Amino acid sequence: MAQRIVTITSYLFSRLLFSLAGVFYILLALVFWRIFFDPRQSTPELSYYMLVTALFGAGITFLVTLSVAGRAYRATNYPLLARLPSRVEHLTAVLGASLLLSFLLQSLVAGLATYRGPSLLAARALEIPPIWLAVDILAAALALHASDLVTAGWSRVYLYTLLAIFLFGQGLEGGAASWLAARLAGAARWLMGQNLIVFGDLVDTLASWLSGAGSAVLDRLFSLPFWPVHAIADAVQNGGFAPVQALAPAILLLYATILFMLAADLFANKDLFLTE
Amino acid sequence: MIELHHVTKRYYSLVAVNDVSLTIREGEVLGVLGPNGAGKTTLFKLIAGFLNPDAGQIEPSGGMWPTLGYKPERLLFPNQMRVRAYLRMVASLANIPRGEIGDRVAESLATVRLEGAAQKPIGDCSKGMRQRLALAQALLGKPSLLLLDEPTNGLDPEGQDDICRVIEELRADGHTVVLSSHQLQEVTRVCSELIILKQGRIEFGSDMETALALRPHITIRSDRSLAALAPTLRSLHPQITVRDDEIVLEEEAIGLRRHVLSLLVGTGYDVVGVEQKRATLEEIYAEIVQWHNVSSP
Repeated sequence: MAQRIVTITSYLFSRLLFSLAGVFYILLALVFWRIFFDPRQSTPELSYYMLVTALFGAGITFLVTLSVAGRAYRATNYPLLARLPSRVEHLTAVLGASLLLSFLLQSLVAGLATYRGPSLLAARALEIPPIWLAVDILAAALALHASDLVTAGWSRVYLYTLLAIFLFGQGLEGGAASWLAARLAGAARWLMGQNLIVFGDLVDTLASWLSGAGSAVLDRLFSLPFWPVHAIADAVQNGGFAPVQALAPAILLLYATILFMLAADLFANKDLFLTE
Repeated sequence: MIELHHVTKRYYSLVAVNDVSLTIREGEVLGVLGPNGAGKTTLFKLIAGFLNPDAGQIEPSGGMWPTLGYKPERLLFPNQMRVRAYLRMVASLANIPRGEIGDRVAESLATVRLEGAAQKPIGDCSKGMRQRLALAQALLGKPSLLLLDEPTNGLDPEGQDDICRVIEELRADGHTVVLSSHQLQEVTRVCSELIILKQGRIEFGSDMETALALRPHITIRSDRSLAALAPTLRSLHPQITVRDDEIVLEEEAIGLRRHVLSLLVGTGYDVVGVEQKRATLEEIYAEIVQWHNVSSP
């Protein structure tokens, strides 16, 4: 199994690296470095270096994974897929190739950024790999669901709608609960105006609950999934991880694992109409 | 080796494979015939596991799925890779030990006579070379089931003969092969079993020997037109056909051959030839898919 995964990983990796898209990604990395770590300026903060490079890693991993998954979903792969006892091996290779190339691009930016960049103290440098890796792996798992390789039916619409709802709820000023409570109160008034008293009462009760006891529940529901991201950002900015914050990269990896398992299930059971 | 039970596959409203039940036995070479759009490629993709049936089941006979070598109909390869490098990659996926990969790749290149193109980028290969490469990659690692979708399509007669020779060798070695083709002579030559698909259904299925023993007939040729004698001859048996200077006696009418011959001689006709024949695969195929009807407006 390992031999097969390594073979397909290196095949997909080299196909993307030695293509026009591969050159584009290298140029993108250089442009990113030039803009965010301008060598003519003074040394940036270590927290800036860690967070901005992590952000670049997430973005580039997402894009690279989409490219690798696109190449893995071409009809040239039918004879290769026929050789695999399990399609999950193919998906694992896609993930492996994406992470490998993304890691190289991220390392390129990270390496260049050390020129007139921050001094990497050993203790803090050790914090970098788990943060960057966890973020990259999560971005790759998310990108798999956006690709034709994995998506089945409306799966990517469901997943990204859910993600958008959480991002929207979390981004609302004053919390999602108060925003929703205000909308529901308005809806209740409208229903009352239409003489739909029973429905109006029901919606008004819901709005009141959201303004009171429900507020904390809903706000926590929307903010909880993003806790690891906030925890990592806080820890980096504060100069170190508190014991609880140290769990954040592991939780991101847990998210990635769940997403990958879901992707594997979708990919293993879908009809393969590979593109020509 | 593999059993298909009432397998159906639809693409929206189009039923590509319709209630197909089939057993692929170890050591047989199964020919899948049918016109374009009959569902051959879909059937191959179902067997290979690329598609899931909408109804029915596909299961291994002995509980273990066979290892597969698949030659797709469309010859799509990573064009920038070299032939040998591509085969080395497939060999690696076929669980061939690293130390043996070089030898096995060379062996498979020799089998399909592609040694001369080993260092060529696949993009520079001709259609014939790509067809040979497709077969070479499918053969690597001696998979227990070979699925060859139109293996001789686009090859010159020499190339077709080469591929048939390879399949005959595989058959002699006890390999299980499923192949589709529009070359009926090639199917007659290499296959031990045969199915004919039409609109997704198996319209005919038999072993090759039985198929070729179908509809025996005798053709009696006269020295001139038999138009005058035709009504008398037809009245003898419904399976007697008269075509210009030929009389064809099919199946049960064969027993009347002596009577027909003496009738001809007695009425002053000279018999210039008598031939005993079996139905050819072309005749069986034409009758089943009714290609004459299809091609005519």
